[in-house]
Amino acid sequence: VKTPARFLLWDALTSLKLTISCLAALMVLVVACTLAQVHLGTFGAVELYMRSWFVWWDIPGTVLSLPIFPGGALTGLVLAVNLIAAQARRLERSWRKAGIWIIHAGLILLVLGEFMTGMYQVDTQLIFREGQTTNFLQSPRELELAVIDTTGPAHDEVYGVPERLLAREGEVEIPGTPLRLRVRRFYQNSELFRLQPGQTAPATAGVGTGITVREAPPITTDDRMNIATAIVDPVAGGKSYGTWLVSNALDATQSFVHEGRTYQLVMRAKREYLPYALTLKDFKHDVYPGTEIPKNFSSLVHLSNPSTGEARDVLVYMNQPLRYDGKAFYQASFGEGDTLSVLQVVENPGWLLPYVSCVLVTLGLLVHFGIALRRGVRRQAEARARPARAAAAAGALEVQS
Amino acid sequence: MTMAMGKLVKIAPWIAGGLAIALAGAAALPARPVGGFDLEAFGHLPVLEGGRVKPVDSVARNSLLMIRSKQSVRYDPDGEGPIAARSIGAGEWLLDVLFRPDLADKYPVFVIDDPEVLGLMGLEQSGRYFSFEAIAPHLGEVQRQAQAAHQIDAKQRTRFQSAIVNLFERAYLYYRLKNTLQLPGTPGLAFEIATAAAPGSSRRHAALAEAATFRPIPPPAGASPDAWKSSGEALAALAAGQQDATLEPWARLGLAYAARDPSSFNRAIADLRGLEAEVAPAAVRQGDHEIVFNRAQPFYMGMVVYVLALLAIFASWLWKPEILRPTAFGLLVAGAVIHTAGLASRVILQGRPPVTNLYSSAVFVGWGAVLLGLVIERIYRRGFGTAVAAAAGFTSLIVAHHLTGDGDTMEMMRAVLDSNFWLATHVITITIGYSGTFLAGGLAIAWTVRRHLAPRADPASGKALAGMAYGVICFALFFSFVGTVLGGIWADQSWGRFWGWDPKENGALLIVLWNAIILHARWGGYARERGIMAMAIFGNVITSLSWFGVNMLGVGLHSYGFMDKAFWALSGFILSQLALMVFTLLPPGFWRLGASAQARPGGAS
Repeated sequence: VKTPARFLLWDALTSLKLTISCLAALMVLVVACTLAQVHLGTFGAVELYMRSWFVWWDIPGTVLSLPIFPGGALTGLVLAVNLIAAQARRLERSWRKAGIWIIHAGLILLVLGEFMTGMYQVDTQLIFREGQTTNFLQSPRELELAVIDTTGPAHDEVYGVPERLLAREGEVEIPGTPLRLRVRRFYQNSELFRLQPGQTAPATAGVGTGITVREAPPITTDDRMNIATAIVDPVAGGKSYGTWLVSNALDATQSFVHEGRTYQLVMRAKREYLPYALTLKDFKHDVYPGTEIPKNFSSLVHLSNPSTGEARDVLVYMNQPLRYDGKAFYQASFGEGDTLSVLQVVENPGWLLPYVSCVLVTLGLLVHFGIALRRGVRRQAEARARPARAAAAAGALEVQS
Repeated sequence: MTMAMGKLVKIAPWIAGGLAIALAGAAALPARPVGGFDLEAFGHLPVLEGGRVKPVDSVARNSLLMIRSKQSVRYDPDGEGPIAARSIGAGEWLLDVLFRPDLADKYPVFVIDDPEVLGLMGLEQSGRYFSFEAIAPHLGEVQRQAQAAHQIDAKQRTRFQSAIVNLFERAYLYYRLKNTLQLPGTPGLAFEIATAAAPGSSRRHAALAEAATFRPIPPPAGASPDAWKSSGEALAALAAGQQDATLEPWARLGLAYAARDPSSFNRAIADLRGLEAEVAPAAVRQGDHEIVFNRAQPFYMGMVVYVLALLAIFASWLWKPEILRPTAFGLLVAGAVIHTAGLASRVILQGRPPVTNLYSSAVFVGWGAVLLGLVIERIYRRGFGTAVAAAAGFTSLIVAHHLTGDGDTMEMMRAVLDSNFWLATHVITITIGYSGTFLAGGLAIAWTVRRHLAPRADPASGKALAGMAYGVICFALFFSFVGTVLGGIWADQSWGRFWGWDPKENGALLIVLWNAIILHARWGGYARERGIMAMAIFGNVITSLSWFGVNMLGVGLHSYGFMDKAFWALSGFILSQLALMVFTLLPPGFWRLGASAQARPGGAS
């Protein structure tokens, strides 16, 4: 009898072998990802093995790369489909299997939660000194070229050009201003050198006239940031204001004036402005007496939100984040002789999924193994009772004879 | 079976277990005075060191353990051979270091194994132990080499570099101990008190405060309980007109010890204890408890009792199983009682859940495996539970014993780990998961050994073992999953992400995945008894990698316990498990087939 192809596919999708293969593939990926962290850093290794559909291998000496292993995302997806399909097809709908049902439902949620995290989680940082008030978050990895109109005495107008747009090396309109930026060159990572005699600088205006740039491979580890450099011409009203070198390695302020308004050009960590502000009132770094073992890090923060009229103090410390506005603020780091505090800010709409999932799986495992254990103990008791009963019967026979 | 025999079977486990516990209890009795000096009372004195208040006995033991890897010294002043050598306890050693440094410098306390380090100092490789006097002339060079090696990341250091850094750190600890109460070569603490306000003395106070390892002067009643002072700080306070009542008896104690005057020494200690009971009663109580724990060494005693249980169960397979098997079980229970008592003491002393570092995780993994083994033995009553539990208990306590080299096993918790709630939930469940996976692996090893060594085929025993292993794997899957997820929740609470693919998290995930694979392979019928047993042994490999291997990787937020020597031990363990898996997969008696083929010609002649 010939089996139609769709039944073959259905068999494969629901098979237990596929489950085991996926679990095994996941183990391989986890081991590879763990080992890769030594060189790539956590972020790089996770991107390569876990948040990818395939693990690619660059054929040496060519620009080609081959998919050599399913990535974490693909394995997770197949596993989830397999779970759902097998559940629908094979498992009986009975109380005996209730535990398995609950476990698998929980696992599907867990995989879903990891997908949500991969797609929607945003990690940023909030960095402030004691006494300083901050109303923006900054990305730990991504940069932007900010065009800041500093003319107004009360506040600045800021427009950020993301790296993605700069990398196209075309023209970028700056909304709300008469400016356009003509991006001549963008380096995702670079090294800057002082200009030597005989060299020509890429820039014709600003501090960049004394600097040359060399391209560098992008940084993948967690502890360092790229040094991005852009060579841009600000153009307004048909007039170019020269060629400027903008880099996050430069501290100097670079600005020009157009029709009475002053514009600054800054390469900096990508910012997200908040409708509320946080003030660091005090940062504490306690150690155990007579040692340097840290006992606690805490930031006393004042939160003020003009739109809701909120104004209150919050203590953010180890294992005690501030959850506000769909974001969670964690004590992450510190510096400058314990006067600067770094809060890790995480926004993840799926953050509750793992909690639900773990409750489900735990319950399911308890139910399932509870049922199995009862059955096992009963069998064991029967096995032990059998010879005893046989002996008793033999004894009864002897008495009778 | 006779009447007397039946009775013996009933009471044998009680006698064996009772004796073992009595033996362990005897070790906790107070020590006798040495030469009239009440060292026991000295050991009780509370001091602040490493961020917590502890009896000075703990400081002495931990320091000597760090320097010499043992809690006592054998000293043979006249070179009359090992029999004439006198054993010096940690307390007496510390007193000599503090108050008779010239004598203490002669004790062979520095264990040096590395031939290159010995070569650097031009020392003969005849013994392992060297006195401070012997290494003192080379300390300048040792320091120079150690500072050079210090620039290199701990993971990248060569064997020599690690050894030289280690030696320098131990020598530095010894130097600081010597300079804790008084500076060697000065008249001593009593003289410092008398001249506290004299010009020029403040420099010595600063030197003392700088070098001090422990702080012996308790804060006055009402002050912050953490505000203990070093002798240098107390002297500086005295110069400023603020007197600490306990400083003077410490000085008398030192004078009397150096002058070999036991009665004055004992009186000074009595005065000190009286004063301390007034200002720091909680510290004194805590110290009294800790010192009993130090002396009893419950984990060491437990290890001994587990070995006895293991020997008894081995013997039972050869001779009188009806007596020896219950005896072994009795010993196992005794071991578990001692082990539990030790764990409970740690929890009370530290005021924290049982697992706080790598050392205590080893102690706890063994404890969990032993308890599980006891339950299995009660259900199956075949002796396998006892054997595997005793072996697991013994092995884990050995591992723990080798993890004590860092000194105080009750060190303070780093900030992010400082959460009793998560230590009690996540860390405990995940550690129970380790216990379960190891126990299942142990049962599978028992299955393998029995299959190859048992004189006759006994499928029922094999099946029972496989059944036990299956049950334990289910148990392990449950705990490792719950533990992993709780870890995720902790991470979500403290770092803002549920899952970060951190190496330690990945290690835990691997255990969960592997146990899940075993169970699914069994349910699908892809692996039969033999295959499941081989997989269970591989579980040992995965668990050991997750537990220790991750720490060797040295990345991630969890890398709290890097160890270099352990790398080889771990590799050896993994190889042994892989070899055992080969035996699991081989047919039973395959080597007998070979042996009989060879034996045939001889038999024919």
